Amino acid sequence: MSQYYVGILILICINLLAVLGLSLMTGFTGLFNFGQAGFLAVGAYTATILTTHYAIPFLPALAAGMAVSVLTSFIIGYPTLRLKGDYFAIATLGFAEVVRLLVENLEKLTGGSRGIPRIPTNTSLPLALGASIIALWLVANYVSSRHGRNCVAVREDELAAESIGVDSFRYKQVVFAINAALGGLSGGLLAHYVGFIQPSMFSTIKSTELIVMVIFGGMHSLTGAVFSAIVLTSLPELLRTAQAWRLVAYGALVVLIMVARPEGLMGSWELTPANIKALFKKSGSAEEGE
Amino acid sequence: MNTILQQVINGVSIGSVYALIAVGYSLVYSILKFSNFAHGGVLMLGSYFGFFALTLLNLPFWLALPLAIVGAGLLGIVNERLAYRPIRIRNSPLLYLMISSLGASIFLENFTIVTIGPNFRTYPDVFPIQPFMIGELSIGRLDVIIMVIAAISMALLTWIIYGTRIGNAVRATSYDMRVASLMGINPDAIVALVFFLAGASAGLGGVLFGIKYTVWPQMGILTLKAFIAAVVGGLGSLPGAVLGAMVLGVTETFAAAFVSSAFRDLFSYALMIIIIVVRPGGLLGTVTGEKA
Amino acid sequence: MALLNIEDLTKDFGGVRAVDHFSQELEKGGLYAIIGPNGAGKTTIFNLITGIYKPSEGRIYFEDEEITGRPTHEIAQKGIARTFQNIRLFSDFSVRDNVRTACSRYASYSILEGLIPTPRRAREEKELADRSSRLLELVGLSNRADELSKNLPYGHQRRLEIARALAQEPVLLLLDEPAAGMNPDETVDLMEFIEEIHETFDLTILLIEHHMEVVMGLADDIVVIDFGRTIAQGTPEEVQSNPTVIEAYLGEED
Repeated sequence: MSQYYVGILILICINLLAVLGLSLMTGFTGLFNFGQAGFLAVGAYTATILTTHYAIPFLPALAAGMAVSVLTSFIIGYPTLRLKGDYFAIATLGFAEVVRLLVENLEKLTGGSRGIPRIPTNTSLPLALGASIIALWLVANYVSSRHGRNCVAVREDELAAESIGVDSFRYKQVVFAINAALGGLSGGLLAHYVGFIQPSMFSTIKSTELIVMVIFGGMHSLTGAVFSAIVLTSLPELLRTAQAWRLVAYGALVVLIMVARPEGLMGSWELTPANIKALFKKSGSAEEGE
Repeated sequence: MNTILQQVINGVSIGSVYALIAVGYSLVYSILKFSNFAHGGVLMLGSYFGFFALTLLNLPFWLALPLAIVGAGLLGIVNERLAYRPIRIRNSPLLYLMISSLGASIFLENFTIVTIGPNFRTYPDVFPIQPFMIGELSIGRLDVIIMVIAAISMALLTWIIYGTRIGNAVRATSYDMRVASLMGINPDAIVALVFFLAGASAGLGGVLFGIKYTVWPQMGILTLKAFIAAVVGGLGSLPGAVLGAMVLGVTETFAAAFVSSAFRDLFSYALMIIIIVVRPGGLLGTVTGEKA
Repeated sequence: MALLNIEDLTKDFGGVRAVDHFSQELEKGGLYAIIGPNGAGKTTIFNLITGIYKPSEGRIYFEDEEITGRPTHEIAQKGIARTFQNIRLFSDFSVRDNVRTACSRYASYSILEGLIPTPRRAREEKELADRSSRLLELVGLSNRADELSKNLPYGHQRRLEIARALAQEPVLLLLDEPAAGMNPDETVDLMEFIEEIHETFDLTILLIEHHMEVVMGLADDIVVIDFGRTIAQGTPEEVQSNPTVIEAYLGEED
């Protein structure tokens, strides 16, 4: 496979990691996160500072990036997770902005707005692919477990969920942390793929792209998240359209989806053997006993 | 003493701009119960309307300003019709409105970047730049003008909302849209009016901000400040939005003056977090629980 | 030992006193009712018991332990389940999943096991599936187990909400206007249903109702409240003939 396609595949995997976390937190648990880029930045800068300034090996540095990201989620989650949806969403926006501000102003550590160059490009295709497949497996397991059901219950009706014994705050903390871990991993891999990082890579544009992927594919479907990550990462790369028009299209797309088909492409549909069988039954193929 | 007074004036001046934006935001929130992220796009385009009215059409300021205000107001109505009404009438969750507003805001910002261009623009000097002198104190002329225009607009808005029949209808609708419609109030007309007023005040805020600072496609981020102001004052409360905006404007100006300008925004977010945690209803608002 | 002991419960919302020094004792195994005109404060009392509101004054004891103002999920885990006046099902869940999510007593596998499956998880999930199936059979909803709960007819939704509460295997069941929106036939069915579960599950039941027939036919003891205050208490016969009660209900359609 040519280097070009390998690159696209790696980018898909990197985006998928971030989108899986978002899907779990925003799609399944109903916590709207408009500042995912903040977690990517935390993971990216932590890992990068460790590998470039302190010669820490790659994998431990990635792990450290994830850990710091998770810690961050607990710190900002504590005051904000009890809030109503709107408030929390805007708090996440504020969070991403604060991260960007800190990065731009702590120049000695982060290189300020010029960023950090010459990062060892250790992100290989097997690593990226392996990480995203494992992440997908873990998240899919979670969603089908009783904890996943509890999270969906929190989304559907938090009061009723509490009344059947679900500790909604704790679950929100958990999915926020998982999201932070995946976002941090995504950021660390991104930094060591591109070879340099700048705060502009982690702006609201990045957060927007990721949230659009979750909405486009279907907020209640992991299959949709995977699908979106593949399509919305590769299409712009392959079509080479001007970046700014891409965002114009994204904005219009989001409005269109909300107006015409808010459940996104897949709704709650998942790629499971049972569902695939059902698809074929419906289209009138071979008779199958029920 | 001179510097402190100047900073206070600076703070009140930017606070007035925040107040205009925050009031529009709170107005929409009180009627439709959602955060309209596209508010920023309207404010930004209002600023551009004013800019082009002055530079391209060469209109005098007293014509350019109303043009920008009305333009922004109409844009608000169009935004509502296209991005929110179809969702509203289907009784979909409020979340969908918020997401749609996010999409609209992304669309407006990037459409502007692609068509008009990403550059920062500077308003021509609309007013003479010499400051007012009171004895030894120099007070920025522009600041005073901004405060006066904002105050007049607020007074006008207050009169409309609290002193007219249509304003009564708006307030009734904000308490309960269904009941209001049962009493013969046309909710669509009210919604259109509210979005016009919100857009108009946002546009005015954008023009004033543009005159004092600059115009650029991402200036919609100012709505984040407006949101902080609304939260500090009490989400959904109009006087709260104004109070919160003033508090925010003055405190963040002092933070910028005495620490650093990078610290200004950090301070604002910190203020928001503190208020959210300590007094979520804001300074004037009340916390309403969900009915079980 | 009283199962539930409510002492001087008071709740103020700003200037409005919704509940005014309400007291009640529930003995284990009884079937109790709180009735009163609309807005009398009945649901507020439920919300106070289940920790959704914190009282302005007063205390609540459950099995001799104080539960006043504790978080809702903790109170639920201690054995108090409830239904809501406006049905609060998980609409995007199937009938089965609504019940399964509430069967918390039978699954305790950790979050880690949620991410990485273990034999224990598989065992517990099977247990959950079995128990939910059995419960659905008991309440007569088996044939609709995989349908989305939002697609059920109203009467079945109410039944499902009760089934979900039963899945918690509570000691005390709070029912908030379970007969709301039902026609006379459905109401009779519901009454029989409540009678049945009262016996079968050895529950203590406290219900709020507006429909007099439901209450008179079922409850051992009735408290009547108006404007947040108790105005009468006793057996159905005593309450029915109480002049203060009759006055409070004057003008009520039933």
